[in-house]
This record gives sequence, C-alpha cells and structure tokens, in this order.
Amino acid sequence: MKPVYQLFKNSYRLFLNDRIAVLLTFVVPMVLMTIFGSVFSGGNSTPQGIPIAVINQSNSDVTKQIVATLDTMKAFQVIDSAKDEQGKIVPFDTISIKEFVKKGRATAAVVFPVDAYADTSSALRIKFYYDPKNEIEIQTVGGLVEQAVFKHFPSIMAQSGLRQAKKFLGTESGQAFNKGIASLVSKYFNVDTSTFLHPDKWRLNRSDSDTSDAGSNFMGNIISIDKEQIVGEKLKNQWATRGIGGWALTFLLFALTASSSSLFDERKSGVMLRILTSPVSRVHILWSKYLYNMSLAIVQLLFMFAAGWLIFQVDIFSNFLNLILIIIAASIACTSFGMLLAAFSKTRQQANGFGTLLILTMSAIGGAWFPTFLMPSVIQFLSKLTFVYWAMDGFLQVLWRGVGTMDILPHVGILLGIGTIINVISIRQFKRGDIFS
Amino acid sequence: MTLIDIEQVTKKFPSVVALDNVTLEIYEKEFFGLLGPNGAGKTTLMSLIVGYLNVDSGTITINGRAVTQDNLEIRKEIGFVPQTVALYDELSALDNLEMFGKLYDTGPNILNERIREQLNAVGLYERRKDKVKTYSGGMKRRLNMICSLLHDPKILLCDEPTVGVDPQSRNAIFDFLESLNRLGKTIVYTTHYMEEAERLCSRIAIIDHGIIIALGPTDVLLEKLPYDETIVIAKNPFTLQKQSVFQEFGAIIDENDHFELKPGDDFKLSGFFSRIETMGLKYQWVELRRPTLEALFLQLTGRRLRD
Repeated sequence: MKPVYQLFKNSYRLFLNDRIAVLLTFVVPMVLMTIFGSVFSGGNSTPQGIPIAVINQSNSDVTKQIVATLDTMKAFQVIDSAKDEQGKIVPFDTISIKEFVKKGRATAAVVFPVDAYADTSSALRIKFYYDPKNEIEIQTVGGLVEQAVFKHFPSIMAQSGLRQAKKFLGTESGQAFNKGIASLVSKYFNVDTSTFLHPDKWRLNRSDSDTSDAGSNFMGNIISIDKEQIVGEKLKNQWATRGIGGWALTFLLFALTASSSSLFDERKSGVMLRILTSPVSRVHILWSKYLYNMSLAIVQLLFMFAAGWLIFQVDIFSNFLNLILIIIAASIACTSFGMLLAAFSKTRQQANGFGTLLILTMSAIGGAWFPTFLMPSVIQFLSKLTFVYWAMDGFLQVLWRGVGTMDILPHVGILLGIGTIINVISIRQFKRGDIFS
Repeated sequence: MTLIDIEQVTKKFPSVVALDNVTLEIYEKEFFGLLGPNGAGKTTLMSLIVGYLNVDSGTITINGRAVTQDNLEIRKEIGFVPQTVALYDELSALDNLEMFGKLYDTGPNILNERIREQLNAVGLYERRKDKVKTYSGGMKRRLNMICSLLHDPKILLCDEPTVGVDPQSRNAIFDFLESLNRLGKTIVYTTHYMEEAERLCSRIAIIDHGIIIALGPTDVLLEKLPYDETIVIAKNPFTLQKQSVFQEFGAIIDENDHFELKPGDDFKLSGFFSRIETMGLKYQWVELRRPTLEALFLQLTGRRLRD
C-alpha cells in the first residue's frame, strides 16, 4: 500500500503545483455556477426592466388599470412614446409601436384598441405584438402580461355578466340581476361592487379573434389577447437563426485562444528566436499573428453561418453585406481577446486556462447561452461591457431583424472600440512581458 | 580585418550579470570559437551580436554598423544557428526552408536554387518533402543549420549546434562548417566541448561568468600553460603504489581510470622516462598528450569546463 499512498500523495502535489489545473477544477465551475445560479434560482429570479411598448386607445377604466399594473411591475419598463424622425417625443400610434418593436427597442407591444371594451361586446380585447428574438424571453413576457391582465379578471368577468344580463333580461330585470350578481362577485372575488354597477364607469368589452366560438371558451369570452409575431415570422428556421451567432462566437473564441497561444509553442521550440534573428521585428510578429487570427476568425464565422444556411436554412443572404460587416467587427474584437490572453499568460497552459474561464463567463453573461434579461441587473450591466453581447446582438439584428447598415453601425463601432482598447492593453503587455525573450 | 567589433559590452539580467565589460574583435573569414561552461554568457553574446537583445552598455558593430534590436537590415549579413532545433516539426524540410528563406527577401529563383544546393550539401535532398518530425536528431541539426544559410550571410553564428548529436552527424556538421569557412564565411562558434573548438577554431575566446578570461589563437593560448604536455599514466595496482614517485615530477591528478601528471617547472622528459624504467614501469602504461583547452580552462579557473 505504501507505493500507492506515495503515488497518490504525489498526484496531489503535482495537481496543487499546477495553478491552471486548480483554476479549471475549482474556479471555473464556481464562476459558472454563480452565473447559472443567479439566472435560474438565485435571489433575483424575477426578470427586471424588460422594455415593452404600450398604448391605450380605449377610454375604459379597466384598460387604464391594466396599464397601471404593467407600469408597476418590476419586470417591465413600460414605454408609451418614442422620438420621431425629427427627434420629437411623440406618443405611440398603432404603426409606430410596431416599428418600435421591429427595431428591437422593445420586446413586445401591448395595444388596447379604441374598441378594447366596446358596449356592444362582452369581452376585453388586447393586441399583443411580439418579437421572439429569444423564445424564453417572449414566453416570460407573454406570461407576465397575461398575469397583469388576469389580475383584473374578476372585475372584467363581473362586468361581462352584467352586460349579458342587461342584454337578455332588459333594463329593469337586468338592474335587479346586476345587484344580485354584484353581491356574489363581491363576496367571492373581493371586488368593490361600485366599480361595475355603474356602466358609465366601466366600459369593458371583449372579443377574441383566436376563439371563433366564444361560447366554447369561457375565459376567451371574457379576455381575448390577440397575439401577433411581427419580427422573424417569415424566417424558415427561427430557432437556428437566433442561436447561430452564439454558437459561432463561442467556438471562435476557443479557436482563437488556441491560435494565439501558438506564440508560446514558437518560443518553446526556438522558432521565435530564429525568426527574431532574421530581419523581422517583434511588431512584425504581432501583426502577422493578429492578421492571421483575424482572417481565421472571419473564415470560421463565415463557415459557421454557411453551415447554418446549409443545414438549418438560416437566411444569410438577404442581408449579406451587413452580416459581413458585423462578422468583421466581431472577428476584430475576438482576435484582440486572443492576443490579450497571449500577452498576459506565461505559458500555453495558462492561456488555455484563463481562456476557458473568460470564454465561458463572457458567453454566459453576454447572452450566448441564455437571455440576459434573466440575469440580475448588475450582470446585465456587465454583459454590455463584453464584446460577446454586442457581437451576439449584432448577428441578431442582421439575421433576425434584417436591419440596415445604419442600424448596425453602433454595434460595429462598439466592437471596434472594444477591440482597439484590448489591443492597446495587449501591446503594452507584450512589451513588458517575456514572450519574446 | 575586423568584421565584428565588440566594445566594452555589458548585459545584465535581473538575477545575473551575463556579460561584464566584454571587448572582442572577430576578423573577417576566421573561424572563431567562444568556449565556456554552461551559463558563462556565450549565448547572451551571440544574441547581442545578432541583435536579438540590446546591450545595456558598450557597442557592437558589424562592418562599422551598429547592431541593435531595431537594425533589421544588418541581420541580412548574419545567419544564426540556434542551440535548439528551431524548426516547424509538422512541416516538411522544404516548407521550413522556404518559410525561413523568404524572411530575407531572397528572390524565389535564387532561393529555390540555394535550397537545392544546401539540401544536397547536407545530404537531405531526398528527404526534402518529409515532415521534420520524421527526421533523426542529426538530420534535424543539419536542417537547422542550413535554414540559416539561405540568404548567403557573411557571418554564421553557431550556438552549440552539435548538442545531442551522434559522432557521425557531428563530424558531418564539422566538415560542412569547415567547407563554409573555406568559402569565405566568418564563423563564430560557441561550445563547451573543447575538442570541437580545438578542431574547428583558428582563434578562441574563453569566457566564464560573463568575462573573457583568455583570447587568442589556440596554440598561443595553450602556451599559457606552464607545461607543454600532459602525461597520462594507466591506473593499475603497480602504478597506484608508485604515486609518490610521480609526484617528484609534477602535480598528479587522480582521474577515474588514470592519473594525469602535469609536469613541474624543471621537468625533463628524458629524466622522467629513465626513472620509470628503473622502477620497472612499462612504457605502454604511459602516454604523452598535447595540452588541451580543457586543461587551460582548469588552469585559469580552477574548475573543469563541464562542471
């Protein structure tokens, strides 16, 4: 047993002396566990500040109350106006609110039309326009909107009942019925009867375009939410179109980490020394590596998107030039990241260890794996500091939304800016470091 | 004519002074040896000559032009053979040669011609398309060397190019280097094998702890020894008994398998042989050897070259 014990002990000694192994064994899982935990089960599991656009064209008090409820929900940031072409802030109308969602400035729009609750109808009718750029997000948003609406279900149901009674029983009998039903509703649903005993105060209406036979669906007779996807509805494979950018970026970052780390192999083998004793400067080497990695990144991203087109029918050609633009910007930022790793690491193993930690972390908080809206506000803020977020969003804008060049210029600018900052830091570190010595 | 002029050069690293005020001239077309133990400063000096490192103080000039990290042009006159086999293992010999050759702006036709010549010269032409990882150690060393010759440099710096090489390949490398020197190339050769320096170099600098402790033609350096030859005496029961007799003639060093007698000031060879004859010592147990650089190094530093 003694040899077994000695070898066992030696294995631990070697492991503890290998900082990268320790990092990958303990730190990486801990960081990722923290992020996943924050997203799915942490103290802040309720999403916050999801932008939704709302217009209420109805005079009904109940719609006003629903809007007020939406406004008070932490999950939402309710927007009711936007800047027009002249830069003036104007309230939404039915056209501008859809454009607002189409441009990605809000996840969804809730519209209470003029006839949301007309006298002639028995149900509340709501239009819900949405952009399913992220399936989880839109399901959450839809659910929360329904929750806000159904919070007022008792009142709406009671009002509908009153109306139907009035319609079929006549005014006098209706009034008597109203009082009876009011007291029952008040008793079982804890509603102030005065709110629905005065028709001038409540003008609830109900229609449900999803349910042709109103009588077959009681809930549908009371509240109808008419949902309409207004972005990406024509795309063949919505799931792949949304996800391809994230997959491509994650694999690209791993590839670039490995590629940038080739500097360590060249140093170790002596090739670096041989090159540096020829008419080649350190700057030449860095530029050659940078350009090589960048071109590799562009080719890899193009390959990934081409594979997405071939296998999943992702439409990459409708907005191809803008896709190229965002691919180049993302490649520059990702390449800079690879160079940064090489600059701050002392060995290939170290670069790979740091790379794994940073790539997984950035991919997680940058939105490559799950939507950022699920994360705590601090992480949502940090997310926007990562180039993964901007690259991901850029791909989404181009492929999902089909936006024009002007609309992705901010993404391109931010990616190039991040790339430049990282490059400056890398070059400074390369000068200080010992990769060339 | 001086080709490389090293003037009062000092180079320090955080924990060590690698070169301390070194002054040295290397002449055109000579085969110059830089001899010293590991860590003496040989590789640092080579790195400074080729401009891979910058000096802390002093100057290095080649043909009157200063060598610095930024002076890339001057590197076209130098071929550097690194201590390690600095090749891309996954590429073929041909790919390696093309890649390194093109760094010197050599025209494609000239480069191809030189690649062919050099591959033939070191006997690798038939294997030119094979990946380097399939080569033997000696083949890699030869390829390592010719990678530094494709731009036809005036100066060839060889930093211990025979480390880990079998005797046959080593001799092939020596022959190749000697032929290059005959063709007019100035060769600076570092080694800690004194027999290599003795065979190849017309002039030698012995370096230790970053200081040049001896400099000159090999024969002149050996004259610094207080004796002309070493007497090697076989170790056996008889000679073991007679150690005290040998000590009458000089210092005795007990090596593992033999004694070495370093003759004293008034040593006379005829007197030594008549004395051992009277003792009944057999002549075949005694061998006269030329003094070596190893002995010179020992004399100068009190240490062996490979300690």
